[in-house]
Amino acid sequence: MQTAVPLDYRSLVDARAGTVDRRIFSDAEIYRAEMERIFARCWNFMCHESQIPQAGDFFLNYIGEDSVIAVRDRKGGIGVFLNSCRHRGNAVCRAESGRVKSFLCTYHGWTYDLEGKLVGVPGYKGFYHEALERDKWGLIAARVENYKGFVFATMDPEAPALDDYLGEVGRVGLSMAAAHGDVAVVDGVQKNVLGCNWKLAVDNLFDWYHVQISHASAPMSGYLPKLPYKDEDQIVSLGEYGHAISGPRSTPEMREAAARASSEVPLFDERWRDTPEALAALGPVGVASRGHPNIFPNLWIASSGVQLCLRLPRGPFATEIWWFTLLDRNMSPERRRASVQRMNHTFGPAGMLEQDDGENWSQSTLATRSPVARRHPLNYSMNLGRGHIAETQPGLPSIETHINEHAQLWTYRAWADWMTAADWPALKRDHAMPAGVV
Amino acid sequence: MPDMLAPAMAPSLALRLEVESFYYDEAALLDQRRYREWLDLFTDDTHYWMPVRRTKASNQLDGEFSRLGDMAFFDDNKAMLTMRVRRLETGYAWAEEPPSRTRHLVTNVRIVAAEGERITAESNFHLHRTRLASDENNWIGLRRDVLQRSDGLLRIAARHIFLEQTVLLAPNLSNFF
Repeated sequence: MQTAVPLDYRSLVDARAGTVDRRIFSDAEIYRAEMERIFARCWNFMCHESQIPQAGDFFLNYIGEDSVIAVRDRKGGIGVFLNSCRHRGNAVCRAESGRVKSFLCTYHGWTYDLEGKLVGVPGYKGFYHEALERDKWGLIAARVENYKGFVFATMDPEAPALDDYLGEVGRVGLSMAAAHGDVAVVDGVQKNVLGCNWKLAVDNLFDWYHVQISHASAPMSGYLPKLPYKDEDQIVSLGEYGHAISGPRSTPEMREAAARASSEVPLFDERWRDTPEALAALGPVGVASRGHPNIFPNLWIASSGVQLCLRLPRGPFATEIWWFTLLDRNMSPERRRASVQRMNHTFGPAGMLEQDDGENWSQSTLATRSPVARRHPLNYSMNLGRGHIAETQPGLPSIETHINEHAQLWTYRAWADWMTAADWPALKRDHAMPAGVV
Repeated sequence: MPDMLAPAMAPSLALRLEVESFYYDEAALLDQRRYREWLDLFTDDTHYWMPVRRTKASNQLDGEFSRLGDMAFFDDNKAMLTMRVRRLETGYAWAEEPPSRTRHLVTNVRIVAAEGERITAESNFHLHRTRLASDENNWIGLRRDVLQRSDGLLRIAARHIFLEQTVLLAPNLSNFF
């Protein structure tokens, strides 16, 4: 049976009613369009530069469903290339990280250097008669840019510069990670796969409403101390192209109290926010915002910036969750060890918090497939029509309110803009601006 | 048949049988959800650890597993393991509510070293889990344990779990290995 696909994506996200059509989480045609219109067009997080410090160091990642290689070249630059030989398409890199001198295709031996150039073709003289224009058959290269060590890539030549793409909301979000000092990725990117649509995973990162129920077992078992935040005092910052930061306000008093409350390494030691460097990078609203940033579409900056969580679509009904952990290189060994253990215990598939999330999202995803359930939209109406956007800090339009669903609905509005726009010029012209009342 | 068994083999055979019995009893406790009794099988200073595994080229296999001290799926002392058990007892641990059905198969038990009261043993495991109507997960891998004997009883002083997966093919790790 064929499902008729509505081409009017904006009708699937009703920002006035605060509803989202369930079909966007399960329709195969919509998923395919997302790969083209969002992932092949946006800036995608690849890695932190500390993961590939030396020439030939590489890390495999994805742009949507396209496998790509992020690699350090001999001049110190970072390139991102499609992991597909130009001859028959075979992967030219099969290890997920490591160090190479070049990329050898194991099918017929076409070889590419660290800048993606085709430098070796067996039988170039004898079989190709030197007619193959090797300079035209290098690996497909992405545009690569770096913000404070965070490497992003896009396959769209019309995409704006990364800095403009991120805007102040995205830059403040990434700065929350960079502000922890001379940060480097701790070895071991945790990866697992969930049976959910990628958007329901992204949706959850702004969700401070679920904590008391989804994660009830964490305080009950004694793992999580009482959260030093207030549900009734939250900050939401909304950015162009779908970036957002949402969650509780953190004050200097809360930070002191939280740090004092714990003997070892506090889960909530956020006194880094009280440094002049943090204030310069984040501004007063950013410093006070303990919320979770998302760099649209799928990079969550978690744990107050110490961890990044990437949500990679694997078909409409599966998502890979990748956790990157960053710590200051100058941290004492004891503190580093305690911090690593805290991260290991909190998030990741065995995390005391994260274990309980996945089934909620996969059951939600299941209920977007069946014919009757999918007729009924999901509800994102919390605080709808009461979110007054003010720009007290330039470039950071923000709402001060209680727990709400503004950032989720903003993400879906942006999603509809991305899906509607035929190309980057159209998206630049026609996308929701964070202003007024939402 | 008994004649063919060199007398010198008898002590090692007895030790292997003892360790195998220990593992079978442990598996039974887990599969019967007797987690408090399972916790008693660990020493107070135990370390329960499952590193992250990566697909690496053959000349870089020294980096196949994350190292102790870096990121890991499990990196627990006894207090943390106890917290996990307490979590399961709350009734609010949704990953296990309703509880999964598990079966632990333990095979290929090898005594790698035995020095006094400390034994290093390796075993292969297959943890099979089903959940709800049709969810199913399989975890296969190697455990390397340090077993400590005190008062005649074996206790797990360290358990290192090496999974045969890089991208974990499961929504969570809410069961024990």
